Amino acid sequence: MSELFSLTVLTGIAYSGIRLATPYLFAALGEMFAQRSGVVNLGVEGIMLMGAFTAFAMATWTGNLWFALFCAAFIGLLMGLAMSFISVNMQAEQGISGIGMHLFGLGLSSLLFTKFLGSTKAITGFQPIKIPLLGDIPVIGEIFFNHNILVYLAFLLVPIAVWVLNKTTLGLKIRAVGVKPEAADSLGVSVSKIRYLCVSFGGVMAGIAGASLTLALINLFQENMTSGIGFIAVALVYFGGWTPVGVTLGALLFSLVNALQLWIQVLDKDKVIPSDFALMMPYVLTIAVLAFGKRTNQPAALTKPFDRGSH
Amino acid sequence: MSKINRRKFLTIAGTLSAGAALTACATPAPTAAPAAPGAAAKPAAKQFKIAMVCPSLVNDAAFSQSMYDAIMSVQKEMGGESALMLKYSDNVFQVPNAAAAIRDYAGQGFDLVIAHGTQYGNSLQEIAKDFPNVAFAWGTATDNFESKGLKNVFAYNPKAEEGGYVLGVLAAKMTKSNVVGVCGPVEAGDAKTFVDGFKKGVTDTNKAAKVNVTYTGNFSDVSLMAAAAETHTKAGADILTGSSQSVVGAIGIAKDKKIVWFGTQSNQANLAPETVGASQVYDWSGIVKEMISMINSGKKGTVSFESTLKNGGLKIVYNDKVAISADAKAAAAAATKDIADGKLKALP
Amino acid sequence: MAHGSKLMALNSQRMSILLPTGQPRIESMRMINITKRFPGVLANDKVNFDVKAGEIHALLGENGAGKSTLMRQLGGLYRPDGGEIHLDGKPVQFKSPADSIQRGIGMIHQHFMLVPTLTVAENVALGLPSSRGLQLDLDKVSQKIEKLAQRYGLKIHPDAYVWQLSVGEQQRVEIMKALYRGAALLALDEPTAVLTPQEVDDLFKVLRGMAADGHALIFISHKLHEIIDISHRVTVMRDSKVVATHPTAGSTKTQLAREMVGREVILQYDKTPYKPGAAMLRIEDLVVMGDRGQKAVHDVSLIVREGEIFGIAGVSGNGQRELAEALTGLRPVQTGRVVVAGQELTHAKPAQRIAAGQSAIPEERMREGVVKEFSVSENLILQDHGHEPYSRNIFLNFDAIAKESKRLIDEFRVKTPSAETPIKNLSGGNIQKVIMAREINRKPRVLICAQPTRGVDIGASEYIHQRLLEQRSAGTATLLISEDLDELLALSDRIAVMFDGKIMSIIDRDKATVERLGLLMAGVKA
Repeated sequence: MSELFSLTVLTGIAYSGIRLATPYLFAALGEMFAQRSGVVNLGVEGIMLMGAFTAFAMATWTGNLWFALFCAAFIGLLMGLAMSFISVNMQAEQGISGIGMHLFGLGLSSLLFTKFLGSTKAITGFQPIKIPLLGDIPVIGEIFFNHNILVYLAFLLVPIAVWVLNKTTLGLKIRAVGVKPEAADSLGVSVSKIRYLCVSFGGVMAGIAGASLTLALINLFQENMTSGIGFIAVALVYFGGWTPVGVTLGALLFSLVNALQLWIQVLDKDKVIPSDFALMMPYVLTIAVLAFGKRTNQPAALTKPFDRGSH
Repeated sequence: MSKINRRKFLTIAGTLSAGAALTACATPAPTAAPAAPGAAAKPAAKQFKIAMVCPSLVNDAAFSQSMYDAIMSVQKEMGGESALMLKYSDNVFQVPNAAAAIRDYAGQGFDLVIAHGTQYGNSLQEIAKDFPNVAFAWGTATDNFESKGLKNVFAYNPKAEEGGYVLGVLAAKMTKSNVVGVCGPVEAGDAKTFVDGFKKGVTDTNKAAKVNVTYTGNFSDVSLMAAAAETHTKAGADILTGSSQSVVGAIGIAKDKKIVWFGTQSNQANLAPETVGASQVYDWSGIVKEMISMINSGKKGTVSFESTLKNGGLKIVYNDKVAISADAKAAAAAATKDIADGKLKALP
Repeated sequence: MAHGSKLMALNSQRMSILLPTGQPRIESMRMINITKRFPGVLANDKVNFDVKAGEIHALLGENGAGKSTLMRQLGGLYRPDGGEIHLDGKPVQFKSPADSIQRGIGMIHQHFMLVPTLTVAENVALGLPSSRGLQLDLDKVSQKIEKLAQRYGLKIHPDAYVWQLSVGEQQRVEIMKALYRGAALLALDEPTAVLTPQEVDDLFKVLRGMAADGHALIFISHKLHEIIDISHRVTVMRDSKVVATHPTAGSTKTQLAREMVGREVILQYDKTPYKPGAAMLRIEDLVVMGDRGQKAVHDVSLIVREGEIFGIAGVSGNGQRELAEALTGLRPVQTGRVVVAGQELTHAKPAQRIAAGQSAIPEERMREGVVKEFSVSENLILQDHGHEPYSRNIFLNFDAIAKESKRLIDEFRVKTPSAETPIKNLSGGNIQKVIMAREINRKPRVLICAQPTRGVDIGASEYIHQRLLEQRSAGTATLLISEDLDELLALSDRIAVMFDGKIMSIIDRDKATVERLGLLMAGVKA
């Protein structure tokens, strides 16, 4: 077990952690925008599955990974628009309609997969790109600058999200709409438009998150392959206190602990630590942070539909 | 209730039912295909009816598919739909749902109801009591509940460690880094025996080789399985294996890293033709045939079957697209023979 | 700024005089025959209303008279079903709040439209285009806020978060938002409802200055003395219609009250002679801690007798709330004693206090007085449902509850569609009547009554006052905590003034004057 602290292993944990964080990061950052505008989209998992399937099917048929990614984003957009319509126009109970969206994505992706692909064959996904110079730095280069393009995109999204949320007029509107929509409305900000925009963006991100599984992380599709990533992404938004940096740290922490527990299993030859115990680590950690972390940033109007006449 | 509320309700209900409907039709409907045109004309023996409930899809390239393929091959052998009819419910991971399906089939006059999943055992034991005239089978398991007074339950179990051992021999011969990775799902059942056999096969053959084992804690988390495979390659593994339907994640990584994968349960070569070196294939057809003949002669249970390399219930299937040295294949063949002859114990 | 240039263009056409904000004045705004219906309700019935530049026009009416609905149409939140709105003689239509803002109209809503998690500058900049395109220009916004704040005498820190601000400060932010957007006409809906007397004075100074600069102001209130104090003209609404419009000068409170309620309103009550009996509520050296761990109630001792209303005056935040909470069992007592009808109840639970004959009308009536989602009748039996006639054994007796609810609703003149209506749908005055009905029906020997008429319209206030005086005649010992000096002077037999958690002095009613009480409230011992 002492090898755990060897450079190779630590590098491996850091590298895997970053790589694993990618789908969580896409999905959770998108969901964070939806929630900051006041809408909880529990359907992230379903959208991810549709994104994963769409990307995989398109990559199988056309061989064009970027086109596949675009199609996944587009499907995410459509499902995000549907979720916006249900939560903003129909003012439906968001928890329940989110579960409905999840089941819809789960069912449709399985149906389409069985109908059009049947059995799977692995595709060749996005390959790691070594960033010139930076990639040659020992250790650092290996950990940070030798990933596939989607990993870079996911992490590039973080500063962009920070900028949009805190430094732009749009971000100000989003922050206002999620806390006090009637105030934004009284100043001529369209609550519906902002929520549509954010939930749809969340949909696009969930679609891309799903695509990152089939185009970069796994290179294969299987029914219900997300197995909870979308729901963990929703939890990460709470975990991260509704801030892009918090969500990122949460995603990284979760992934790093996951990578760590796998390494512990690899190195623990004599199975001193039962595998079940190692497997619990990320979840125990998540529960601990949620239980002891402060939840002061929750948008006050979260899950509350806005209706001008109702106040 | 206001108008909006009703509308809301309808929206939700609509979304949910659409989702549910899609889930339902995603799996081939559990109805028998129409009888072949010539069936009625043929005055053959009465049609044998099998129902199956399994936890994953019948095209999962693993556990569920192994039984589905076996029944299909027996059907072909017996002369098609008219001789052997199969109805199935797949992707029934939740035990309560599976129990309901098993009970339904039992009440519908099937000759044999197969509960294809270790987790269905407790439910099956209760159901079998209520339908003494229907034969049941469950696996992978060794307990046919005869000790509990049931006379109508067969059990079947693959000695997965045997194929595991042989694949381990192959891995030991082929590895250059002397590190082999195993992506396990849950530390139980045939997954565990496969892993243990594989480990023994490697270490018996190549004392210098290390076997790293991880478990993901469930049968379905594809992305964690991929992460496990990734970790193994980082730890130096140049040969990977693993069990359960979630290994597609790991096979994708193996393909990406251009290393060899050994499969189990089903022939996994078609998932990644240039990656899968060989697979241990569960061939249940022998057992299925034996159960059919026993049932036809009036015996409805009390037998526990075992799939072994010797009785052909387990097979090692090579994939020609991956080069494996003759030396390795010879070692594997020798191990197969020794196990079949009882000279070699696959489990530690 | 897009709308800025549009206004400049309008300005050049009209050659009007500019306001200090650089915007043109609205010389006149007329609402002509405005009609607005909601399902089952006619909220505005052919309402005519107008305001001119430099004028403060008060809009007076009881809760539910249609004032807020009228203003929401001016603010673009609702669209009229009939009638026209004219700005400077031309008909206009407001399709949205943005439309109305762009035309130079600013609304200060009764419930502030501020985002608490944002800073003052962010609240002001919300929804406005930025000089830097997509990127916010909060530094420039802050500079402009400071300039405007200076010009209009509004004390504001642009970088403070709204949740940190007092109510008065938040209101200044609302006014700033309107001014920043170039509001030439400002409509303020019940702006003084939540302010302390000092804050009201500050607000009035600002409003007078704005009128002098040429802004047109609409001041909505049901507080008569404020309307007489601040407005030039007054329009009175009752039951969705305008009943009178006239200059304020020369109007009296009695006249305005009559116009508003539609009948003679008694502002001075006939009291039965003061005949105090035995001590019913005895408080000895009471010490109670506040929310931040400070001593909120500091060695308070007093006695309230049978047949007496004992008033407690003081500016909000001087320990009155903590005192009331300690007396009703909602806040622990540190040291001291509370005796009710001879029974020590210092640390008693609310139920024990009720059993001892104590009733309470809490200050936070929505939070502590009622269960919002419950019906009127359920709220009427909230504490008494456990015994006859409302229940037997473990079963509620619905017939008895219905009968008793109907009697109380009639007797206390609660305006509600039915006994089964959720109480949150009632007006503040009617909710207070439900609480009064429940608490007085118990025939209490001691009544703790905090801010009984805050936010309640004048008709309901008058009724509540009459009931309190009836209880006095019936021998109840009442502790009346209020920030409304008129109320205290009208009802109390003795008045104690609280300052900084201590009782400054206890004065008999006939020796109490507004001036004397005012000085004591400011902490000055006469």
